[in-house]
Amino acid sequence: MKLGDHTITPTKIICVGTNYMDHIKETGLEIPKEPVLFPKTMNCLILNNEPIIYPKFLYNNRKLNRVDYEVELAFIIKERCKNVPLNEAYDNILGYTVFNDVTARKMQVKDIVSKLPWFRSKSFDSFAPIGPRIAEIAEIDDPHNLNIELKVNGKIKQSSNTKYLLFKIPELLEYITKLFTLEAGDIITTGTPAGIGPIHPGDKIEASIEKIGTLTNKVIMEGD
Amino acid sequence: MLNIKIGEDIIYPTKIVCLGRNYLKHIKETNAATPKEPVFFVKTLNTLVTDGNPIIYPNILYNSQKYNRVDHEVELAFIISKTCKNILVENAYDYILGYSVFLDITARKMQISDRNIKLPWYRSKNFDTFSPIGPRIVPTSEIEDPHNLDLQLEINGEIRQQSNTKLMLFKIPETLEYLSKFVTFVAGDIIATGTPSGIGPIQPGDVIKASIEKIGHISHGVLLEKVK
Repeated sequence: MKLGDHTITPTKIICVGTNYMDHIKETGLEIPKEPVLFPKTMNCLILNNEPIIYPKFLYNNRKLNRVDYEVELAFIIKERCKNVPLNEAYDNILGYTVFNDVTARKMQVKDIVSKLPWFRSKSFDSFAPIGPRIAEIAEIDDPHNLNIELKVNGKIKQSSNTKYLLFKIPELLEYITKLFTLEAGDIITTGTPAGIGPIHPGDKIEASIEKIGTLTNKVIMEGD
Repeated sequence: MLNIKIGEDIIYPTKIVCLGRNYLKHIKETNAATPKEPVFFVKTLNTLVTDGNPIIYPNILYNSQKYNRVDHEVELAFIISKTCKNILVENAYDYILGYSVFLDITARKMQISDRNIKLPWYRSKNFDTFSPIGPRIVPTSEIEDPHNLDLQLEINGEIRQQSNTKLMLFKIPETLEYLSKFVTFVAGDIIATGTPSGIGPIQPGDVIKASIEKIGHISHGVLLEKVK
């Protein structure tokens, strides 16, 4: 897939849940002692200006008809790595991009309550917009001091700064690579700040991170 | 793209989707509720190993009293033949390339501890080498009824799991119909259909042999991860 000037071939997307204190408070979840990880699959990925498709069977079901945006800072792995120590973390990162972890919220809450996997609510086609480009490591002095924002139809819904990340990028990479081997192009997202809320067919979603750019996606109804 | 050679086929999977809780006896042994719809989770591609290659027992599990149990789960897997979405039960087999033997290796204590605090079932399932698959892909045309196959798992020659795929709660066509409502599948994607009862621990030094009638068997030694 082409992100700005870079072409990447990810084999996995690993997301970190509950990583901003303000978001942890709004969801009522516990403060994690270790990063909380879950996957999204490749069918979720779409680029800047491609539509987010609202699944019809969620829309038509009162128990399931809420789909949320979640703006996140993502980083892309440069080369295969395992057991990366904190002080070598940035050597293994190609750069940063904007990610929107679109989530079928009512389905997720229902699954969490029944102690089921967080998968189906996160992995519908088009539920992982990414882009507009990869800002290389050298372009960004401090990835933990970037304003992060999301607008729906021009109105600000999420506004925070990456300095509020509970687990920082080097800690995340150290933790994840203790568990799994990562490959070049793999995408790691770092969690979303407070302000999550629903999207609807017809909405225009703009997710921005300072020094990286804006990722814009319209929401359309499946089949339209 | 990652490719993997299973028997004579080279496939390019982009995801592995696994069913949980699909054999009643296994549901009972894990004290889980019987699902009304298929329960599924994913494994990432770093987990794949082919027949004969070792399953690596991670040090961070082995050395932790809290996490030192890793289990075998033998399963029938099917491989997708072409891009598909919203498949209906009656057309399901048109989108299946064939069948294979699959092992869903699971860090059991970690899975239970994560589940109890309502965390995702993810890290416990996704260590490198936790998805042995093989020894070949048997085309759908070679197996008349995939829901009448004996499956079995042995550790060091002792039988630990023994069942038949007729005891699956959700059959293959229903599973594909359900899953493809959520995600688009592409050629090479792997779907595992759940494990029967008899799950139990593996230890470094063990040899695990998983067999399914008309498909064959895969055989894997268990090695403790080498400390750097």
